[in-house]
Amino acid sequence: MHIKDFPKRLRQLRAKLPELSYKRQKNVWAVIFLMPWLIGFALLFLTPMVRSFLYSFYDLTPRAGEILTEFIRFDNYLYAINEHVFRNTTFRTELVETTFNVVINLPVLLIFSLFIAVMLNAKFKGRAIVRAIFFIPVILNSAAVATALESGASFSAMLAEQNIETIFDLEFYLLQTGMTPALISFIVELIARIYSILALAGVPILLFLASIQSIPKHLYEAAKIEGATAYEQFWLITFPNVTPYIIVVIVFALVDTFLTSPLSLLITHELNRQNWGLSSAMAWLYVATIIIILAVIALLAKVLRIGGSHYEN
Amino acid sequence: MKTEAVTKIRAAAKAFYRKNTEENLVAQRSEKLTHIVVSTIRYILLIGLCFVILFPTIQQVLMALRAPEDVNNPAVIWIPETWSLMNLRIATLVLDYWNALVNTFKLSAISTVLQVASTALAGYAFGRLHFRGANILFFLVILTIVIPPQALSLAQYLYFREIALIGREGSIYLMSGLGMGVRAGIFIYIFRSFFRGLPRELEESAIIDGASVFRTFFNIMLPNARGAIVTVSLFAFVWQWNDAYYVKIFEVSTAGFPLLTMRLVNAAEAMYPALFYTGALELIGQNIWENPLFLALISNVAALLMMLPLLIMYLFVQKQFVESIERTGIVG
Repeated sequence: MHIKDFPKRLRQLRAKLPELSYKRQKNVWAVIFLMPWLIGFALLFLTPMVRSFLYSFYDLTPRAGEILTEFIRFDNYLYAINEHVFRNTTFRTELVETTFNVVINLPVLLIFSLFIAVMLNAKFKGRAIVRAIFFIPVILNSAAVATALESGASFSAMLAEQNIETIFDLEFYLLQTGMTPALISFIVELIARIYSILALAGVPILLFLASIQSIPKHLYEAAKIEGATAYEQFWLITFPNVTPYIIVVIVFALVDTFLTSPLSLLITHELNRQNWGLSSAMAWLYVATIIIILAVIALLAKVLRIGGSHYEN
Repeated sequence: MKTEAVTKIRAAAKAFYRKNTEENLVAQRSEKLTHIVVSTIRYILLIGLCFVILFPTIQQVLMALRAPEDVNNPAVIWIPETWSLMNLRIATLVLDYWNALVNTFKLSAISTVLQVASTALAGYAFGRLHFRGANILFFLVILTIVIPPQALSLAQYLYFREIALIGREGSIYLMSGLGMGVRAGIFIYIFRSFFRGLPRELEESAIIDGASVFRTFFNIMLPNARGAIVTVSLFAFVWQWNDAYYVKIFEVSTAGFPLLTMRLVNAAEAMYPALFYTGALELIGQNIWENPLFLALISNVAALLMMLPLLIMYLFVQKQFVESIERTGIVG
């Protein structure tokens, strides 16, 4: 190396140095930031998960003071898929049904909750009250409350007795207008579905609302000056900024639907009957189904370029 | 002559001015019209949906305010004949309401703080600190979201028994602090998406000013993440409040430390003993507590009482939601 080049070389090094060390700094800090989660994962998640995975290949029989184990390969899985029957349903039917329900409901849920979130974001009188009302499904979505309301099954029978279960008999009125039965059953089912969608949409609405509100305001101001309509503002500003959350909402809705489905109850039921091997096998089939659905969605998102951050590129 | 000309000019000017304003008015009117139409449609939709949400709740509130004697009085459909707070009083006794409320609030508040701290850190690491192996680790986060909690409960129970945390609130705090609390994986995901969405210029300008990674996170990213923090805190609080699962397997709710969810679930499963042991039976006559509908009514009222504090809390938190817009407005 020539002496003459030295200052130049030093400058180059200096320019390189902070960048490199910053990157390394980032790696160090990543470990520190992840430390609580890593410890939690190793202590509270990894062992139970591995153990449950191993159980799914064994037949476990509790005897006095010990547990007999017998390696049975995929028998638990085969039994869960082919032979399992509980009351009037089987594991397989519930698995297929839940999967179909989710796949059909997800797009409706996404569009609906984004639409509502945009509406709740606009300024209007009584906004605080309306937002509070839309929060009610989030609160009511709880196992404890469900148990309490379930024990009131006789209660709803009583309501039916007093004819106040339905506010008015929609089907009856529609029949009188002379519509076709197919159309009527469609409308009635749609209205019945609104509540179930609303119940699931509580969390997605809040997530979308939060992400819409974190969009820098100056983007909208600039758009207004340029004469963009509300419609254009939605597609060019709101939507691209909200997309990273769409995947989060999908994950949430997917997991929540599976968790509150009869599938989850079947797993718990087998667990309580001490069929640990079978229950673990069922849990892993359940996990595999969700992960496959997620993988398909992730692939679709990549093809359609949804979900990448607006700023990152 | 001169005055005539002046008046003519003035008249012309006036006519011109009038014409101009009339055109303006027409434009304004059409703008106003679309505004009215849009807001009418919005109100009709929102009021309809609010009604669908509120209808069952209103029904239950009105049921709750009936006198216990009227529980299946066919003459009472909507408005109670005799208004009474007796059902509420019985439900508060059954839930051990005030004690359980304080405990549940404490448990939820502490675990919320721990959850937000642990998941925000992890979320930032995944979203912003592009480290090696991030994708594999994030797949593990997804796995923690996806695996049904009951599949892990047995092994977790055994572990907590080993470290003597069964029957103590500490078990919940440990889970929350280590990022394994109620749906912690979703929170990590939310924070990751949020931090990714923040403009890169923020970080770059911090680097130029010589800020370290931690300072960039703490002084620049975190204040801008207010929206995400408020959202996650809200969910963490509500879900901890409503959690009956972890609280049950770790046996956190005891006679000395009652929690709302467990009191509610236990009472709903066996209402008569719950009424008996809390002395609520003495408040009402036999002909009433022998009525199964009355028992069902009390569990409904108890559920309402459990929800009420959350709704009140939300009304306050909502202001934070609005403020977070103005804050992030500065960013740009």
